[in-house]
Amino acid sequence: MLILSCLANAAEVDPLALVNGLQRELPARTAYTEVRFSQMYDRAVIARGELEYLGPGKLGKRVDSPYVETTTIADGEVTIQRGSREPRRISLDRIPELEGFLRGFSALLGGDVAALQRDFEVQGSGSAEHWQLRLSPTDKRLKTRIEALQVDGAGSKARCFSIIDADADVSILMVEELATLTLPKPLTQKNVELTCRRGNSGP
Amino acid sequence: MSPRLLRWALLIGWVIVLLAVAVYTGHTLKLSTDLRSFMPPAQTPDQKLLMEQIGEGPGSRLLLLALSGDGEEQLAELSRRFSAALRQDAHFSQVVNGEFDAGLLDEALLPYRYLLTPSFDATPLDAATLADELGQRVEDLGSPAATLLKPILPRDPTLEIMKLAEQWSPPKQPLLRDGVWFSPEGEALLLVQTHAAGFDPAAQGEAIAAIESTFAANKAGSANARLVISGPGYFSVLVNASTRGESEWLGRISTVGFIILLLLAYRSVAVLGLAALPIASGALAGVAAIAVVFTEMHGITLAFGFTLLGVAQEYPIRLLSHRRAGETALESVRSLWPLLLTAIASACIAYLAFFASGVTGLMQLAVFTISGLLVAGFSTRYLLPRVLPPGFRDAADTPGLGRIWNWLEGLPRPRWLPPALLVIAALMLWSATTPFWQNDLASLTPVPKDLMQREGRLRAALGAPDVRYLLIVEAADAEGVLELSEKISPRIDALVEQGAVNAAELPSRYLPSLATQRTRQAALPDSPALAAMLADASQGLPFRAGLFQPFLDDVEKARTLEALSPAEFARSPIGARIEAMLVQRDGHWLGLGTIIGMQDPAAFDALARETDGAVRLLDLKGASESLVASYRERILHAFAIAIVLLVITVFIAFRDIHRAWHVLAPMTLATILVLAVLRAGGTSLSLFHLVALTLAAGLGLHYALFFERTTPDAAEARRTLHATLVCVISALLVFALLAWSSLPVLRAIGLTVSLGVGFHFCLSILMARKGRSRDAG
Repeated sequence: MLILSCLANAAEVDPLALVNGLQRELPARTAYTEVRFSQMYDRAVIARGELEYLGPGKLGKRVDSPYVETTTIADGEVTIQRGSREPRRISLDRIPELEGFLRGFSALLGGDVAALQRDFEVQGSGSAEHWQLRLSPTDKRLKTRIEALQVDGAGSKARCFSIIDADADVSILMVEELATLTLPKPLTQKNVELTCRRGNSGP
Repeated sequence: MSPRLLRWALLIGWVIVLLAVAVYTGHTLKLSTDLRSFMPPAQTPDQKLLMEQIGEGPGSRLLLLALSGDGEEQLAELSRRFSAALRQDAHFSQVVNGEFDAGLLDEALLPYRYLLTPSFDATPLDAATLADELGQRVEDLGSPAATLLKPILPRDPTLEIMKLAEQWSPPKQPLLRDGVWFSPEGEALLLVQTHAAGFDPAAQGEAIAAIESTFAANKAGSANARLVISGPGYFSVLVNASTRGESEWLGRISTVGFIILLLLAYRSVAVLGLAALPIASGALAGVAAIAVVFTEMHGITLAFGFTLLGVAQEYPIRLLSHRRAGETALESVRSLWPLLLTAIASACIAYLAFFASGVTGLMQLAVFTISGLLVAGFSTRYLLPRVLPPGFRDAADTPGLGRIWNWLEGLPRPRWLPPALLVIAALMLWSATTPFWQNDLASLTPVPKDLMQREGRLRAALGAPDVRYLLIVEAADAEGVLELSEKISPRIDALVEQGAVNAAELPSRYLPSLATQRTRQAALPDSPALAAMLADASQGLPFRAGLFQPFLDDVEKARTLEALSPAEFARSPIGARIEAMLVQRDGHWLGLGTIIGMQDPAAFDALARETDGAVRLLDLKGASESLVASYRERILHAFAIAIVLLVITVFIAFRDIHRAWHVLAPMTLATILVLAVLRAGGTSLSLFHLVALTLAAGLGLHYALFFERTTPDAAEARRTLHATLVCVISALLVFALLAWSSLPVLRAIGLTVSLGVGFHFCLSILMARKGRSRDAG
């Protein structure tokens, strides 16, 4: 907190210090609301559920609505369990792009600055109260799939994780207190981004 | 012309003729390395198939490549570059490294996926199926795999391309890292199928050279990367090279020894060179005769032929040792000629039996050996004496020779010795426990153990098919093969379930029969119906209107396509597999299913019974062993006839049963003794042993003939001994050295001939007729 309060006075935030500040007790859980904007869709698609971080390389994402799905990533394997179907297992080795992305995500949540810098170029902007981190992949193959990973937050808390695909499709996960917030109307990408930037005090 | 000038003219003329023949044969003769031309005509259907498939079966044309020596990421990158380059190379029909190849079906073939996929066999492509699939896609797009699926979704919302790719990937998928195959030991793995047959070392050598140069050209950036090649084709190249390498190395040593021996024996450099002319003439004549009669010669014929022609080295040695004062070389050879002619004629007549065998390889061997022996013999009789320098040293004056002669003559010659030896040999033969015959020719040219282990490890890591077994699916036409293989597919799955086999691949795995394709085609909805289903299925889903137009177009195209034939499919990258799995023979079509990890061959028997043999397991090793056995049977028949011919010739030459017996008895006993010693030592006999025994018997015939001869005086007896000793030592120099070889095939020949020379020499002395000149001189 000491570092963060010092940073509040700085014109530019130190992105690595921010990542460090995100470090927290394990296991970390938060509800989320995901809004997805895609060229394939004629409207935004909303999903709700819970995100879970259990330590390096171990992530969980549960979708509760509009369908039920649990994705767990552990020991280099992705397991997707949908409804009552047989769980599908995919080795992360088979999807190298995904592996890079998840490594970055996991490093971000775990506050592992070194790991993060290995795979991403990290930029920060804003102030300690309303900061934004932008992680651009350095790996060429990951770049063909994902443009950037964006995190909006305030203080030591992240509020939104945005995944910007190479084709400009965007998926925005609102977490912590934003997860239960009433979604902005009309539900446009711009409005959701505004909400992420302003937190509860949004429109 | 002075005699000296005449001698030189004749010599130069002789050498020029030899050179001319060498140039002629070098231009016309093609050396074949294909093992099949040395095999007998196939009898059983399996043998026929084997003759076609030996080395051409899908499993044996595979080369396994492993890249190591660098980081995983670099190796994966190298694997991608390397495979892309190899795919451009005409030597290979298929190169796979585990990359998901979206080009698996080319653009033109993409609509065919609705005829190839089994997805809609159980449940048709209708609104309910579509709704289920589209719902899953929404979920997929929210999952980590979304970025992979997006590009293909509008065209293929039910993901048939991915389902087919999964179906066509090897039944036992290797580990994937960074998108390409890896072994558990961290090597990047590739599978390469050559166009060339696996057991054609020359063609495989070219393919392997192409792989190595492509690797060298593409390894930039990973300087430490190493390439390891494995597989039957690689081994045939390796074994060929090491056999040739070792025999050349041993050959050089024995040549030096041979030169020293001849220099010691005759004390003349000129004589040394001249003595080589008859055998060189014989060898060239043999090769030329084959070039004229057959145009193509097998490598084995050449190797066996040169071995058998070793007998001809005796001819000039006999002449050189028997020269004496006051006699021209021509006069000396005249007195020797009847005996030499008997030896040459009996050998040639015996080899006629090989010619009658009907096996191309053996007929070539007969032509080579007979023409070689005749030319070597007649040039020793008519040419060599005329070019030999007039000056020489009488071999009878060689120091110490008299003492050896006396010692040999003084040896006891008990009459009970031969029968006693025969009894001992019989006991040794009877007590041997190993199999009498070695049918597995590969065991004579074994692949080093560590390479075999590596091969097993890579094969398991890659899930590559077995080289030994093929699952044959036979029908009247290609369509019948595909239908039958579709029909038995559940049975094979059951066998995999039972653990009889780890996995098996049938042709229908790659291409369904036309009938199945047409059934699927008929079940596809037409364009308006599909559009209605799609609208129905999309209700409540966020997909943009018109997104799936490419999908509608592809299904409509699939409805009007001609069903995909094997020939057409073969033109696509994946189709190369079906080409290797479907072959036509005698108006019949055979599907060649590959087997991966055979556990219980007997479990396939029931399948063969139920289909009347239309579906059967082919054990290539078993079939090739039965082929070798029937081949050996023919050789043994040829040998039996050869022995009869030899006995008749010797009797006719001597017109004296007693004398003929004294020549034939030691030969026979010595041959039996060699067999007994080999068997007692645990050796199983192969073709190579038989050829070596024949050479030894040919040499033994000479020893027996010359020792049996009544010599007019002691000096002549010493000359006979001199000639025989030079022959024995030179044969031992060559073959005893081979006996020390690390390669079983060279060891087999070397040991057998060395033992043979020893026994023939001793027995022809100990069993020689009494009452010859005993003067110690």
